[in-house]
Amino acid sequence: MRSLLLGLLLGLCSLVSALSAVGNKLLVIQEDESEKDNYSQFFKDLEARGFQISHRTPKDSSLSLFLHGVPAYSHLLLFPPKSKGLGPELTANVLVDFINQGSNVLLALSSDKSIPSAVSSLLLELDISLSPDRGSLVVDHFNYDTKSASDKHEVLLLPSPDSSRQDVKSYFGVQGLIAFPHSVGQVLGNASPFLASVLKAPATSYIYNPKDDSGDALEDPFATGTQINLVSAFQARNSARFTVFGSAEALQDTWFTASVQLPNGKSEKTSNQEFAKKVTGWTFKEQGVLKAGAIRHWLDEGAQKSTTDLTVLDVNPSIYRIKNDVHYSVELSEWQADHWAPFTPPAADNVQLEVSMLSPFHRLNLVPKQHTANATLYTSDFKLPDQHGIFNFYVEYRRPFLTNVEEKVTVTVRHFAHDEWPRSFAISGAWPWIGGIWVTIAGWVAFVALWLWCKPVEEKKVAGKR
Amino acid sequence: QDIVETIWQNYVDKTPQRVKLLDTFMAFLIVVGVLQFVYCVIGGNFPFNAFLSGFSATVGQFVLTASLRMQTNPENKADFRSISHERAFADFVFGSLILHFFCVNFI
Repeated sequence: MRSLLLGLLLGLCSLVSALSAVGNKLLVIQEDESEKDNYSQFFKDLEARGFQISHRTPKDSSLSLFLHGVPAYSHLLLFPPKSKGLGPELTANVLVDFINQGSNVLLALSSDKSIPSAVSSLLLELDISLSPDRGSLVVDHFNYDTKSASDKHEVLLLPSPDSSRQDVKSYFGVQGLIAFPHSVGQVLGNASPFLASVLKAPATSYIYNPKDDSGDALEDPFATGTQINLVSAFQARNSARFTVFGSAEALQDTWFTASVQLPNGKSEKTSNQEFAKKVTGWTFKEQGVLKAGAIRHWLDEGAQKSTTDLTVLDVNPSIYRIKNDVHYSVELSEWQADHWAPFTPPAADNVQLEVSMLSPFHRLNLVPKQHTANATLYTSDFKLPDQHGIFNFYVEYRRPFLTNVEEKVTVTVRHFAHDEWPRSFAISGAWPWIGGIWVTIAGWVAFVALWLWCKPVEEKKVAGKR
Repeated sequence: QDIVETIWQNYVDKTPQRVKLLDTFMAFLIVVGVLQFVYCVIGGNFPFNAFLSGFSATVGQFVLTASLRMQTNPENKADFRSISHERAFADFVFGSLILHFFCVNFI
């Protein structure tokens, strides 16, 4: 009995291994109920990570993304429908509202199913373009799976994506190859700062519509090579995430366990399961989630200089004076599986503090001072500029694949009070004049002494003359 | 050349000792004032109020001394019959103290 209880407890503990930072209610929209079985391993993985999954079809009457005006689910997983539309509850506007209220969406596409116009117009809003050809898919004659698509070359085998930038941490790297069958390629626009590419197609790929018989289909393809993104990530200003996953089939059980072979390679197992875990981990806010904790600033002058004892310090005053020395600190944490952990930016990167009024007067790198159990304390010591006004201490950290950190503290900076100006004897430029005055006074005192001293002599003279 | 010498000789002989004392004091004030002004021209007048107060100390003192000289010069006895030398001197001291007070504050 006891061992059973212990086993149950242990079992419960192991269930909750990676929770989302924002919530665990996940809604899955799938048109075909029978399709659910094809993705059973994928859903099992999600449930093992603590998500409460609700399955609905698009035309279900009980489907509603919102409950009393607030999103009813923290996350949404959309599978491609067979019919033309996603139903009245999943229009583009509703999805945009859903994202604006902070929930995350993972949209899976497939070239086998048609893409509803609502979806493609929604993606256009996000500056992601899809090929206007219905049924077009990504084809690659050099990176295909010889076991399943030796003639059509529509199953792409892709190496693990890695971040080429030094200052961006890679969240999607896996060991081995990822199989992407029947994928829909996306082209990201340049205008949006919120878009990032997760997985690009190889340089030898292109978008092709197999139903198009005419020969000029290849003369003007929609996109080629690394222009084509297979998995695109969008993070809104409120840090809600929208991922477009180019191949819904890559999430199926068959592809989780398939063995594939490149034209000139050897047979190996796919890493689709691992990749799915990474992509859902990022989209549903298990990875790359930052939080700014307590912000403290105080005057680092006079009696308070160089103390860090919070009980005696006047923390977060609302008024400073020009040219005051100020100490600023902020705590940053990163979500790690099920708790907040200290955050360290990549080696080439810095979290910066802006001291600005209309435009920044200082832009300083925040130095990580110490680590607590849940956060890293970043500090900066600086001198307020020689300008009075209303200043903002602004920490703005926006990086690809990380939630946005925006913390603004507003303080008043006043000018010198009438008794705070430096005294004239402290100004070295005034010493000649001070010397001049005292020399004059000394000369005057000497003159008065002489005058008074020689007076009796004159009187005597006058008396003598009389 | 001769004229200057004659004037100087006349001055040395004819002026009373007290007036000469006043004159030396005035000459001293002029020197100090000129020094301050030359420094201002060379080194700039950064604490402007300091320059003003230093320079005006010498100038004001010079003016006060000049008025004392006028009032105590035996040759001017006719113009200042009602003011005794002591009275003139007391005025001089009083005015000088006010001037010093003002300058020390203004600097």
